Amino acid sequence: MSAHVTSRTRRNRKPLRAYLLPALVYSLLIIGVLIVVIPLMWALAASFTPNHKVFEYAYPFSWRALLPVDFTLEAYDNLFARGFGRAVGNTFFLAFVTVFVGGSVNALAGFAFGRFEFRGKNALFMAIVMLTFLVPVDLTAIPRYILINNFGWINTWQGLLIPGLANSLVIFLFRQFFAEIPQELIDAARVDGASWLRVLVSIVLPISKPVLVAAGLLMFISQWNSYFWPLLVAPRQELRVVQVEISLAVGQYGTVWNELLAGSMIAAIVPILLVMPFQRYYVQAITGTGLE
Amino acid sequence: MRSKQQIIPYLLLTPALVLLLVFNLLPTIATLVESTFVMSLRSGERVFAGFANFERIFKDPIFWKSLQVTVVFSLVVNPLQIALSLGLSILINQRLPGIGIFRSIYLLPVAVSLNVTAIVWRLLLDKNTGMVNGILYQLGIERQPFLHSTEQALWSIILIASWIGVPLWSLFILAGLQNIPPPVLEAAKIDGANAWQSFTKVTLPLLRRVLAFVLVADTVANFLLFAPIILTTQGGPQLSTNLILYETYRRGFLYGDLGASAAMLSVMLLIVFVIVGVELYVLRGSD
Repeated sequence: MSAHVTSRTRRNRKPLRAYLLPALVYSLLIIGVLIVVIPLMWALAASFTPNHKVFEYAYPFSWRALLPVDFTLEAYDNLFARGFGRAVGNTFFLAFVTVFVGGSVNALAGFAFGRFEFRGKNALFMAIVMLTFLVPVDLTAIPRYILINNFGWINTWQGLLIPGLANSLVIFLFRQFFAEIPQELIDAARVDGASWLRVLVSIVLPISKPVLVAAGLLMFISQWNSYFWPLLVAPRQELRVVQVEISLAVGQYGTVWNELLAGSMIAAIVPILLVMPFQRYYVQAITGTGLE
Repeated sequence: MRSKQQIIPYLLLTPALVLLLVFNLLPTIATLVESTFVMSLRSGERVFAGFANFERIFKDPIFWKSLQVTVVFSLVVNPLQIALSLGLSILINQRLPGIGIFRSIYLLPVAVSLNVTAIVWRLLLDKNTGMVNGILYQLGIERQPFLHSTEQALWSIILIASWIGVPLWSLFILAGLQNIPPPVLEAAKIDGANAWQSFTKVTLPLLRRVLAFVLVADTVANFLLFAPIILTTQGGPQLSTNLILYETYRRGFLYGDLGASAAMLSVMLLIVFVIVGVELYVLRGSD
């Protein structure tokens, strides 16, 4: 690398400094990448390792710790034999319902805020959407728990699902996107006598792919990764989600490390596979509100 | 027609606003109300108690210790994460070959949940067989207790939180950097500014809004850190990592003292409102 740099320096007669800076940037980036990737590589490799060998190459450290040199599917087999598949199914179900039902609810609200002028618009937006956006949900979990308890919804799908359907961050995203659609597009359809529902379904939705992907990813991943609320509201085994299942495994079978890591890798791979092809949308979704 | 049109936006809004009202706004108010009730030991009923819960927690050394740990944690973790995020965002904003691959890799922790992060790091930081100690061994450094020591546990939590936090907040700052029009930086260069001058005199002032947002959002997020605590130290050793949200959970759910828990949450709500209020004040009219 350094020999390559110096030979090119001589040939192009560029100052050495012009190469030092990129070299420095790459070095720092690679250090950061190691900090990001090594924990994940070890966890992935260890999840494919017999339990008694999980720490074998970690202490003292050797490169073998990062590759499944003693490959086995034992951890995954045992995990699913124990009923982990149920938790995976539950989490997918919750995430899909959140995306479709929650997405519709939030999109309708975003459409109203983005496209209509009506009395009390700003007051409603500030008092409900802004305020709920500013108060983190974890802070109000205990009274929400009491409320759900009064509804008789502890250990039910409703209790898991309904409180998370409306999402002020997602309403923000939709509002911002819908507000930027050119008025002529909508006017043309309105003149033809289309109802607002028709306008929404046949004019607005087809051009809203970016915001739909962004909002969908955001809702899916936050539901997939949610932990505190499901832990409180649905401890019953049949309703457990992936994050709760792996967190309980920490105490429960404390020494079955490879299963714990196998569960963690399943919990990690789903959002990673979703985010990677749609990086731009996802980054826009999470940074969108911060820059407004 | 006109009157019919007037109804439509309200119809569209109703589902979302009702849900937010019932499940978000109402619990916020209920936190404040709940903090004035205690559970009667004799009848098992909730009884109005005025400020008794607050008096109780304000006299409680565990609450003060928890608040103190949270303040120390915040004073370290937030500046640290923001400095590192700023650094990382500048690095991944460079126009160099392969930078897209780096950006993708740095997105990995953002997608992974805090639980998975905490579980993996708990094993990596294991005092006997963890990989971090395994690497230290190869470097000739003796074993460290990490999560098992009152001196190192909070730092270990800071590490775990930052593994996600730094890449996450750097995305916001990167978006801010990309919003700076290139001609502005070129003009600074033409005026003879070196890299450091153009960074401090041009870039940083233009990032003010984003940095203020990140500072507040990061502070609130770290103030409410929970998963890494329950999954690694459970507040220990000797309450050295007993962050405030974990303490409210311990009181409310493990000990069933919902009154004290709600009183602590009310104090936290107040703190969050102050932080957010400062944000709105700082960002006011700076569009």
